[in-house]
Amino acid sequence: MKNSFFSTARSRRLGAVAIAATAALTLAGCSGGGNSDGPTTIKFSYLWSGPEAEVLESIIEDFNDSQDDIVVKGVSSPDQQKQLTSMSSSNGSFDISDNFGENVGSWASKGVLAPLDEYIESESIDLDDFAPAALEQMKHDGQTYALPIAVHSFQLLYNKTLLDEAGVEPPTTMDELADAIEKLTITDDSGKITQLGIGDANTTTTLTTLGFAFGGAWSDDDGPTPTDPGNVEAVDWWQKNVVELVGADNLADFKAGEGQYLSAEDSFFSGKVAMIIDGEWRAASASEVAPDLDWGVTAIPAASPKLENSTQVTSSTLFIPTNSKHKDEAATFLAYLLSPEVMEKFSLTLGNLPARTSLLDSDAYKDLPNFEVWANALTSPNAQSLASAPYSAEYSTDLGNAFDDVVRGKSTAEKALDYVTSRTKSYAK
Amino acid sequence: MSMLTRRRPEARAQTRAGAPKRPRTRRRSFWIGVAFASPFIIGFLGLFAYPILASGYYSFTDFNLFQSPDWVGLDNYEQMANDDVFWKSLANTLVLAVMGVPLTIAIALGGAHLLNTPIKGQPLYRAFIYLPSIIPVVVGGYLWRWLLNTQYGFVNYFLSWFGITGPSWLQEPDWTKPAIVLVVLWTVGGTMIIYLAALKDVPHELYEAASIDGAGPWRRFLNVSWPTVSPVTLFQVIVCLIAYLQIFTEPYVLAQERLNNISSGPDQSMLTYAMYLYQNAFVYLKMGYASAMAWVLFIVTLIVTLVVLASSKRWVHYGSQ
Repeated sequence: MKNSFFSTARSRRLGAVAIAATAALTLAGCSGGGNSDGPTTIKFSYLWSGPEAEVLESIIEDFNDSQDDIVVKGVSSPDQQKQLTSMSSSNGSFDISDNFGENVGSWASKGVLAPLDEYIESESIDLDDFAPAALEQMKHDGQTYALPIAVHSFQLLYNKTLLDEAGVEPPTTMDELADAIEKLTITDDSGKITQLGIGDANTTTTLTTLGFAFGGAWSDDDGPTPTDPGNVEAVDWWQKNVVELVGADNLADFKAGEGQYLSAEDSFFSGKVAMIIDGEWRAASASEVAPDLDWGVTAIPAASPKLENSTQVTSSTLFIPTNSKHKDEAATFLAYLLSPEVMEKFSLTLGNLPARTSLLDSDAYKDLPNFEVWANALTSPNAQSLASAPYSAEYSTDLGNAFDDVVRGKSTAEKALDYVTSRTKSYAK
Repeated sequence: MSMLTRRRPEARAQTRAGAPKRPRTRRRSFWIGVAFASPFIIGFLGLFAYPILASGYYSFTDFNLFQSPDWVGLDNYEQMANDDVFWKSLANTLVLAVMGVPLTIAIALGGAHLLNTPIKGQPLYRAFIYLPSIIPVVVGGYLWRWLLNTQYGFVNYFLSWFGITGPSWLQEPDWTKPAIVLVVLWTVGGTMIIYLAALKDVPHELYEAASIDGAGPWRRFLNVSWPTVSPVTLFQVIVCLIAYLQIFTEPYVLAQERLNNISSGPDQSMLTYAMYLYQNAFVYLKMGYASAMAWVLFIVTLIVTLVVLASSKRWVHYGSQ
């Protein structure tokens, strides 16, 4: 196979090029760290994109201008799995990132989140100012592993025009809600739904929130409690008053025709659904895609007086991965992001609730319609969060499937939730 | 090649003259060869061999991706036997394969015949048929989600022209699998192009001879085209089958309710084996269980492929034999 094309000098050169090219390919990505003098560069990888990313970039710019020690580089990377795999290696690709409250327990138990207690102290972050229901999710084994920048609560939204037409007042009890649903559900001659009394933005969040509203609990210290009486009652209530009212097949047909969530074709925004249980981010998107819609928000009806103002709180969190090489600097930036002015600027853009309760009365949120109803719910003693535990992801998948069976009329509430109990045995610990 | 043959006498002369040098030059060209092959060798060892061996080991452990794995023996495999979601995902995947593979082969072969007919604008049609294959699967998936919507989508609107009320494609458990197959078939152009190449190789005289003997189009297909392209069909069936057994992107995109949410469609009807494997690995962080699932899928794939290969003796014709 030897030929003069590979004469010695040439072949050596070519070989060297091949090896160099290979080395460059394999080594790419393992670029070196910062230098010893000069500012430290840290990387902030966030899941947000679009307008949220824009406001974040302007916040990062403000931070970089405010001091000379740290340079923050922001990267929008909406892929959660990429985020996770980066944390599994010894050299991570970012120093600070964001996620959701329900993942904190799972990740903290695996040692990928850096404990923040010492930084909370050194950066003097006042935890008492944060919404208690949200802070609960941030802890694992008594230590804090993440902090919320924005929080969310669920309330009952209603279409004022449709309620007026049907002569219905915003409901305050579960019986009134059931009654309103019946009056607001309209079917045509062939039995097809043309207007639905209550829709669900997402069956899992709607029904877990209702579980809290019926006095249920989705877990306790020993783990998941899917068959807690309050939960069963809530799911059963939904089946009787929403699903059986129109028939499961009919409901599925209706759902199949729903437009993209939060778009102008969203069933609540287009007036096909009279009421919906959803979060405060609706306020921001309603003014964008459905400016003509006349809508209101009220607290989720109480199943009994002591359950008034029940809601579910979820949160968007910031954390520092264990494999970050610049944790101190990341903590400084973290504290900056959580400072009242920055948090206000950020949460306002998303139409989210600020995690600090002291900001809830801020005039800045005044322009968001009906915002105060969601804001008030945050400090309610009946505001609860789903536990953030190692098993959270599996549990929520199984609950979703169980709810799906109920909504499809394939199973009763009790049977479906019993099935979840049988699944819990194999959960990650 | 021509350069090589032309220079050969010269090269031979050279080596004969410097006989002692021969092993050294040979060794050197060996290493040059290795250097050029190194991107593949490094890639193969790092991206295939190591992960395969590692997953074999992980399948016997409890491993969460972050902490060191704990040996648990056959626990993962036992858990699989008792996990009804596992069985559901396997059943879903097999149903998709049984529906999808014959359809893909039939449409690709039929389409290739059409693309092979000499008509005006033929290259244009070929390009159109192949076009969907170059669109990223995720983009195509999102496009189809919208096309399949019962209220706003075009598919049911199109069906209504013929007085047909279209089903709730993505909401009725019975219709989600046809929907997935439909979206996969959208990219059938790739398979069709391979068939087209195979059809071009069918000797024209055979068709002419068959025509003279009075064979119609169907006879000609059955007795000329089909036997001639049957080795290609064997290849297509196996490739297509493996693709269906590993199907992930189309059902994942069609089932997804919100970004980063875990969805498996109504009644988990869109949860395929690869999706459940992925959920276990990267959402539930049960890498050990996911590895065990990967090995089971490998064995299932191997068995199915061997069955197809064994059956091929009955229906594949090789021209020279």
